[in-house]
Amino acid sequence: MAKTQINNTGFPNFVLLTGSANEPLAKKIAKLLKSPLNNPVSIFADGEIRIKIAPNLRRRHVFIIQPTCAPVNDHIVELLLMIDAAKRASSSEVIVIMPYFAYSRQDRKEMARVPISSAVIASMIAHAGADRILTLDIHSEQEEGFIQQPWDNVYASYALAPAIKKKKLNNLVVVSPDKGGVSRATFYQGLVGAGELAIVYKERDLSVNNKSEALAMVGDVKGKNVLLVDDMIDAGGTIVHAADYLKEKGAKRIFACVTHGLFSGEALSRISKSAIEKVIVTDSVKHRVEVVKNPKIEIVSVAPLLAEAIKRIETGDSISSLIIH
Amino acid sequence: MLIFSGSSNIPLAQKIARYFDKEISPVEIFTFPDGEKRITLSDRVVGETTVLIQSTNSPVDTNYMELFLMTDALKRSGASEIKLVIPYMGYQRQDHIFRDGEGVSLEVMAKILEAVGINEVFSFDLHSIKIPEIFTIPTHNLSALPIFAQKIKEDFSGKEPILISPDMGGVRRIKEISEMLNIPFTTIVKDRDLNNGSICDSKLNGEVGGRQAIMVDDMMSTGETMIKAADLLLEKGATAVFAFATHAVLSGDASQKLQESKIEKVFVTDTVEIPEDKKFAKLEILSIAKVAADALIS
Repeated sequence: MAKTQINNTGFPNFVLLTGSANEPLAKKIAKLLKSPLNNPVSIFADGEIRIKIAPNLRRRHVFIIQPTCAPVNDHIVELLLMIDAAKRASSSEVIVIMPYFAYSRQDRKEMARVPISSAVIASMIAHAGADRILTLDIHSEQEEGFIQQPWDNVYASYALAPAIKKKKLNNLVVVSPDKGGVSRATFYQGLVGAGELAIVYKERDLSVNNKSEALAMVGDVKGKNVLLVDDMIDAGGTIVHAADYLKEKGAKRIFACVTHGLFSGEALSRISKSAIEKVIVTDSVKHRVEVVKNPKIEIVSVAPLLAEAIKRIETGDSISSLIIH
Repeated sequence: MLIFSGSSNIPLAQKIARYFDKEISPVEIFTFPDGEKRITLSDRVVGETTVLIQSTNSPVDTNYMELFLMTDALKRSGASEIKLVIPYMGYQRQDHIFRDGEGVSLEVMAKILEAVGINEVFSFDLHSIKIPEIFTIPTHNLSALPIFAQKIKEDFSGKEPILISPDMGGVRRIKEISEMLNIPFTTIVKDRDLNNGSICDSKLNGEVGGRQAIMVDDMMSTGETMIKAADLLLEKGATAVFAFATHAVLSGDASQKLQESKIEKVFVTDTVEIPEDKKFAKLEILSIAKVAADALIS
């Protein structure tokens, strides 16, 4: 790997900033990059965000680490205001490292008279002045087309696949808990060397938010170990229903492997009661204490992946070669 | 024409709609546990002029996001024009760089409002008269001052009051209302610590002895400015002190502090919806609905 360029003052040319969304992740990344980390965010009495960036940014590349996890709207605006302040401080490039992209599920008009909220977020980031964006397992890769700026999307499989391999599960079937996740499941099938693939179908009732039902499946899990793969767990309905359905169909041990663990609402109690043995999830969003302490949840860090991506952006190395593992 | 409202100030939106003999068009705003909003409009808007009403007071970021997403929904559904009534504009005090390393947060919001498809902006008593210049679309800085002038005429006639600007930033505003009423004015000079925003020193220009003092300002946030100014005015011999402010931001325990202060009565408008638990006995709310409606018609 090429060495990070050092400017004539002896300091690296890049500056790492973090908002308040996921400071533990940002600290891990900073440690791996041996770089200082700054948080320029404070709040005024009336709730307005105030940004004041302390380090000199002139002619520097500025990396802003901010997954837009809960509370999503505040973290989005924090990000925008950090981009603006960094731009005005004469930085040469502002790169947004946004492992979790809020609103990414609202990526199309599912029905009449709704916004395409994900496109709004992307456009906001571009208008605030970001030069480049890096996401982790964006909900649909077409979203990269919402803006003109370079957009790299890296895969959490870099961190998740080794964690799964460590479990040494034989006779493994990779299962997508819905129709949309088939290509992701196929990808993991190759990564973990699973023999088979199965798909659980669900029907989502659009008039009821966050509610889904497992209905049918393609493939066979009888007497086999199962790895459910998805990009996110929100209220947990999709993956828990799929797991319980697979158990009914004769699956042996059931594991789930998910990039973004939002674990909202009843997710934790649902998972506890479900047929899932373990949910392997990344630290793309900041986890609550209850999530960290939950015995069924195993967290693997994407900090090494993101640190490596930042290094490669700095040194001009390939990001795409980071993707296939 | 169709009128839409975000969730920040529905009572005001209903009042404005009433001037057009209309109801607010229904909007479903569902909030997910992590704060994500899902917006669904129901009325057909193809080719329609639409008015969108949303104040961006606290929770400011959520209110702005709701506004951006509603605008996107209107635009993508075919609205021919989107007029934004944003009675209180959040981030308006961050309209320039005060210290190195800061941004211009208001300009970020302005750029996004234009990018999502707003065609015209109507706001009230903006903190600086230069704010409309941040926008490249027509932006109107409407005012509650005529409403305040009317109220002062009714309540203080024959009492020979004096108008006070609680800081130098409000000189233009106080001159304007002074001319409307033909009542003299004076100002208080207030110094702020730029690092923490607290008021470090204030002094009065001119005389208030034996007169009722009427303070007029654009907004009341912590209430600190008005409360300290009232103390100073009474110290300098004012017989009673009254406060007028367009935007009742009322952060933290401002309501309680204002109620317990030496201010006789506090007049604000409905640009910001005041929740029941922030209302207090000394408070009187005047409505800007008619001014907004008149501006939309003309």
